[in-house]
Amino acid sequence: MSDTKPVLSVRSLKKYFPIRTGVFSRTVGHVKAVDDVSFDIVPGETFALVGESGCGKSTTGRTILRLQGATGGEVTFQGEDVFSASGERMRKLRKDMQIVFQDPYSALNPRMRVGTAIREILSVHGVAHGQEAQERAEEVLVRCGLERYHATRYPHEFSGGQRQRVVIARALALDPKFIVADEPISALDVSIQSQVINLLEDLQDEFELTYLFISHDLSVVKHMADRVGVMYLGKLVEVADKADFYREPLHPYSQALLSAIPVNDPTEKKQRIILKGDVPSPANPPSGCPFHTRCPHAMPVCKTVVPKLKKTDVGREVACHLVHPPEEEVPA
Amino acid sequence: MSTATATDATLPKEKTKKTSELKEVLKHLIRNRAAVAGLVIIGFFLIVAIFAPYIATHSPTSTSLVTRLQGPSAEHLLGTDELGRDLFSRMVFGSRISLNIGLISTLIGVVFGVPIGAVSGYYGGKLDIITQRFIDIMIAFPGILLAIVVVTVLGVGVQNVMIATGIASVPVYARLVRGSVLAVKEQSYVAAARAAGLGDFSIIFKHILPNCLAPIIVQSTFQIATSILWAAGLGFLGLGAQAPTPEWGAILSNGRAYIRTAHHLTTYPGLAILFMVLGFNLVGDGLRDALDPKTR
Repeated sequence: MSDTKPVLSVRSLKKYFPIRTGVFSRTVGHVKAVDDVSFDIVPGETFALVGESGCGKSTTGRTILRLQGATGGEVTFQGEDVFSASGERMRKLRKDMQIVFQDPYSALNPRMRVGTAIREILSVHGVAHGQEAQERAEEVLVRCGLERYHATRYPHEFSGGQRQRVVIARALALDPKFIVADEPISALDVSIQSQVINLLEDLQDEFELTYLFISHDLSVVKHMADRVGVMYLGKLVEVADKADFYREPLHPYSQALLSAIPVNDPTEKKQRIILKGDVPSPANPPSGCPFHTRCPHAMPVCKTVVPKLKKTDVGREVACHLVHPPEEEVPA
Repeated sequence: MSTATATDATLPKEKTKKTSELKEVLKHLIRNRAAVAGLVIIGFFLIVAIFAPYIATHSPTSTSLVTRLQGPSAEHLLGTDELGRDLFSRMVFGSRISLNIGLISTLIGVVFGVPIGAVSGYYGGKLDIITQRFIDIMIAFPGILLAIVVVTVLGVGVQNVMIATGIASVPVYARLVRGSVLAVKEQSYVAAARAAGLGDFSIIFKHILPNCLAPIIVQSTFQIATSILWAAGLGFLGLGAQAPTPEWGAILSNGRAYIRTAHHLTTYPGLAILFMVLGFNLVGDGLRDALDPKTR
């Protein structure tokens, strides 16, 4: 897979939120929500971003789509620089990159019939107008497991699972190539989750979609993803193929995350790695490796030198001094 | 540019949609008894205003000192005022002016206040700060004082009173709408619209403002009443409708001097204002519910 040209490549993406105080809104610091994140996604694959709440996964997804301005870095989508694209150019790009939101209850305009919402998107991009747009809106709803007559319904007339189907249908209406799925199932009942996951997988096969799948549910990621990126405090600490990652996570944080997945065998004894303390504040991250305050293997060097995401001899990427001995590192 | 093509493209089929949408709203408005009562009240005043010359029994301005300050009788249905003018006829003609003042000045407030508030809230930043400080200055004046200033600048007269009360209500709408927009623009459907490539214009008018309708409608029903009362206050100060013009507020404030001896001069105009305000409030409440798909 790695020999194919990436459809999306993210280079040193940074998103800092200023912390302002006082009468004159003086900036006293920054929350580094996304700090120097780089990865590539090749066509047709599902790249999963995992990590706990507040680690910057969703911000990464939203910044890539330019729903929030980035502080720095570069995103290239199908060979085009997303951040420097002008209005008209950007609109064309948006046709190919869509987003599915976490909460289907706030993702749909309560005053707009779902058919109208989908038609609106189709006509903005000049794909279809009038009756033709209506027809296409109904078709895409049907493709997502709903009925044609649902097009005339308002969002509040749907259940949570149906709403998420509508959100997916809306994202799919323009026939995009790349979809950011921002925790698409975490707001749904467990019984509905599997339906939506299956729908996303079917659609991927049918329309050759590429997903950036953002999730904190490692079991779902194991099912969905081709490759996994682990984020901690705004930094990408490990990127690996799914099989490698679940077999042998290299970063101590990945190891701790994986040890927390419940197993469906009550007799199996598992070695749980319990991390001490809380996630440090992203406004005041620890020096050196951001994970050193909680890492069971922390060494003195971890406190001072920031480990970089680097390839190992077997081609896996990890940012840890244990894997890449510190003398190779250039002090930051 | 992108917004223009967007709206053009959606126009033809929106039309067909709108008619069914309008039917739906009317259907639900008619099912709401309170709203129907309000519609009847407003309809009544509208008919009176339109057919004023046929309904009035006397000229609204002809005086007769012989019949001054008479109570209601068969000849003068609601009695006469201090110059012997027929109160019923004056009020019938006055309904034209008062309805106009209430509706037009509120419309001015909505037309200018809503976009200012929407743009200020949506774009935020420096534009928002500058706009809001300006609004602060306007709100710091009591509405009636602001209206007085405007009338003084524009000159005395009913038209200028409408403009003045309209302008005085602009900051109220601007502040109200800004607050709603700030809340609504954080919803993911707004982000979804942006991700879909919609222009700011479509996002504000199709996705944000429809979800800010409830407070705008409620404020408007109050604003119609407030405008009529402000106009009456301006009339009282000699800045509104001039002497013979039969405007309800003016009739009411003139009658104040005779409240002990001829209370009908204040009672009937007061009741008329009360019912008109009630009518608009009932319809406003009904409209708010009928326009919200969730409460249908």
